[in-house]
Amino acid sequence: MNIIICVKQVPDTSEVRIDPVTNNLVRDGVKSIVNPFDMYAIEEGLRLKEKFGGKVTVLTMGPPQAEAALREAISLGCDEAVLVSDRAFAGSDTLATSYTLSKAIEKIKDYDLIICGKQAIDGDTAQVGPGIAATLDIPQINYVRKVEEIKDQTITAERVTEEGYEVIQSTLPCLLTVVKEINNPRLPSLKGKMKAKSAVIQVWSAADIAAAEDRIGLKGSPTWVLNIFTPPPKPRGKIFEGEAQNSVNQLVESLKGIIH
Amino acid sequence: MSNDNLIETDVLVIGGGPAGLAFAIHYADLSKKNNLPIKVMILEKAAVLGNHTLSGAVMNLKNISQLLPDVDLTTIPTQTPVQQEEILFLTKKNAFALPFHPKAMSNKGNHILSLGAMVRWLGQIAEQKGVEIFAGVAGHEPIFENGKLVGVFTGASGLDHEGKPMANYQPPTEVRAKIIILAEGSRGHLTKKLIEKYSLAQDKNPQVYSLGVKEVWEVPEGAFLQGRVCHTLGFPLSSDQFGGGFVYGFSKTQVVIGFCSGLDYSNPAFDPHGALQMYKTHPRIAGIIKNGKLIKYGAKNIPEGGLFSLPKLYHDNFMLIGDAAGMVAMPSLKGIHLGIKAGMTAAQAAFEAIKAQDTSKETLSLYEKLFKDTPEYRELYASRNFRQCFTSNLYFGFLKFGINLITGGRGLSLSGKSKLEADYKHCETASKDNHLPKVAFDNKMLFDKEADLFFSGTKHNEEQPCHILISSRDTCVDCIERFEAPCQHFCPAQVFELSRDAQTNKGKIILHPSNCVHCKTCDIKDPFQNVTWVPPYGADGPQYDNM
Repeated sequence: MNIIICVKQVPDTSEVRIDPVTNNLVRDGVKSIVNPFDMYAIEEGLRLKEKFGGKVTVLTMGPPQAEAALREAISLGCDEAVLVSDRAFAGSDTLATSYTLSKAIEKIKDYDLIICGKQAIDGDTAQVGPGIAATLDIPQINYVRKVEEIKDQTITAERVTEEGYEVIQSTLPCLLTVVKEINNPRLPSLKGKMKAKSAVIQVWSAADIAAAEDRIGLKGSPTWVLNIFTPPPKPRGKIFEGEAQNSVNQLVESLKGIIH
Repeated sequence: MSNDNLIETDVLVIGGGPAGLAFAIHYADLSKKNNLPIKVMILEKAAVLGNHTLSGAVMNLKNISQLLPDVDLTTIPTQTPVQQEEILFLTKKNAFALPFHPKAMSNKGNHILSLGAMVRWLGQIAEQKGVEIFAGVAGHEPIFENGKLVGVFTGASGLDHEGKPMANYQPPTEVRAKIIILAEGSRGHLTKKLIEKYSLAQDKNPQVYSLGVKEVWEVPEGAFLQGRVCHTLGFPLSSDQFGGGFVYGFSKTQVVIGFCSGLDYSNPAFDPHGALQMYKTHPRIAGIIKNGKLIKYGAKNIPEGGLFSLPKLYHDNFMLIGDAAGMVAMPSLKGIHLGIKAGMTAAQAAFEAIKAQDTSKETLSLYEKLFKDTPEYRELYASRNFRQCFTSNLYFGFLKFGINLITGGRGLSLSGKSKLEADYKHCETASKDNHLPKVAFDNKMLFDKEADLFFSGTKHNEEQPCHILISSRDTCVDCIERFEAPCQHFCPAQVFELSRDAQTNKGKIILHPSNCVHCKTCDIKDPFQNVTWVPPYGADGPQYDNM
């Protein structure tokens, strides 16, 4: 079974400071990491490979330094890595990015499964995974928390919904976006880190993946960002303190007021 | 262990600090010059080189230029030349400048810098020279064969709290080398095992330590002169305790404030982190930071015993260098240049041994021979009885130190070697009398441990066995009864919490290992030696960057 994992290099938000004057993120000197949700995608890909055999290819679009994210994926056990990198991709929104990654996936060919993290922690759109499936015209299962079974070119998976979960069955090839409940990612071994150091990363340009000029970069990006704002904070929850029995009674009373 | 997990190299260095990097750089240079393969690998437990490095630091750059004669030293990041220096004696409210400045403590020509930044800089140079560096990997267990050290296992990962493998289990990697260099830093856990196994500290003084607790502050320009070095004695310590504070003008808008407390104190309620907070209440210090902002926090131990506490520096297949061996020269409290020199001399011995295909202790004894011939060794020799002067009273200590200066470091003991006692042996029974004045934490200028800890950036994977090992919980009960759990006070990262049962008042220690900043004070100071520090998963721990 051949699996493609899409990852994104993002700034480590735990290190990001806010400029007190401009209120902008200070990105200088902030180190880059693999988008944390993508780590779950990598782990799931590796576990499926360990179970069914095959090959895991990790793919990213980004500037040359995004290579570091791919090397990290290799240190964990991914077999091959592709970096799609070209100045022509600058300014891509989620639509153009989905298109670009799809073109790269078409070039990789022979895949059964594509796995993405549910969203990236810098943009938080959760659009690129579904966008890739739509562009490639393959089925997708989003917010997957468990892969139940893969057999006879069919995958069965549980996806998280706001109320609970759904069990979805799909034919392969298929695209999954995964949530962090799906697994507990491994850490790289020293042997893996050594492999990553010497691994050859394939770098593909816009021409290499035969991307249409009007569908990539700024030209291929119809999104306009009108405004960015912080949503109003949720009101603080109420804490009932004191003796347990008393607090429980108070809690029940106040719930009665809400649920009729 | 399958061969899939085996790596072999000529020389394995445990620890990517200044000593380990100096070793690797010099070894690579020697190998290249003689057209021999450069097979040297460094394992560093921090996620990024320099992330677990903490020092003042006021440094003598002389040895860097010996190590790297062709490199422009102005490219070392964060350096600022020392412009002004003073030693102050602090009382609660006042400060008196010491009328003389002992030559041994002078910082003329030295530079203030971030050792973490310098380590990263050295790391880049080392990699360019062909040294393989793997950060985020800790050496976990020594491998012995026929009674000799032949390598180390890195730690496994993907273990649950009981140590059982989970679905994401990754086995340890076995790293074998002809020579292993222990450059782990102060109280290295592998070094400790080797010193014990081969009795390397026999007939030596035990090592004694200070815990240095440090904060970096962003201050308005003009609050403290860039390049100014200020050392203080006195407040908040009483005269029977060894230690002192330091304030360095790191840049125009950044100042480093730290406090070192000798761990031979005997009050079980003493708190080195609290001492730094109390220190900041002194008008002299408060004035500097009153309009400032805390940006970094960290803590680290300093081996201070000096020459007579140095273990034997080599054995079959391995050598000890830098802080791991205890190479700090008192009273200037400097060790970086010693570590670099030790690294360079050990590199020469390693190079000769690999060339001769003989890594026995007889061949590696060249290291000690070369090291004994350096000015750095003479520095250690001159101050060989320094720390021993200050085991009882500060004023009396200065008198003894004066005699030391006159007698060329010999002092008044007949053997010429004054004794020291291990830090953990100093502990009085807990009583109301040894409760210290409380610090009025406001988390603006005076930070409690939890608030300070945030600025260390420390983080640990929650899913792993606890890396603070307690040998006996029964001993903890004894310790709580007699000493009221000194661990809750000496740990600068709030790893140990004393919790008492509301009904029975029986005490219990609750561990918070993910708070740990890897200073290893628990391993040193626990009065029953009931605590052993081992490395957690690679890449876990503080994120010091420029400390």
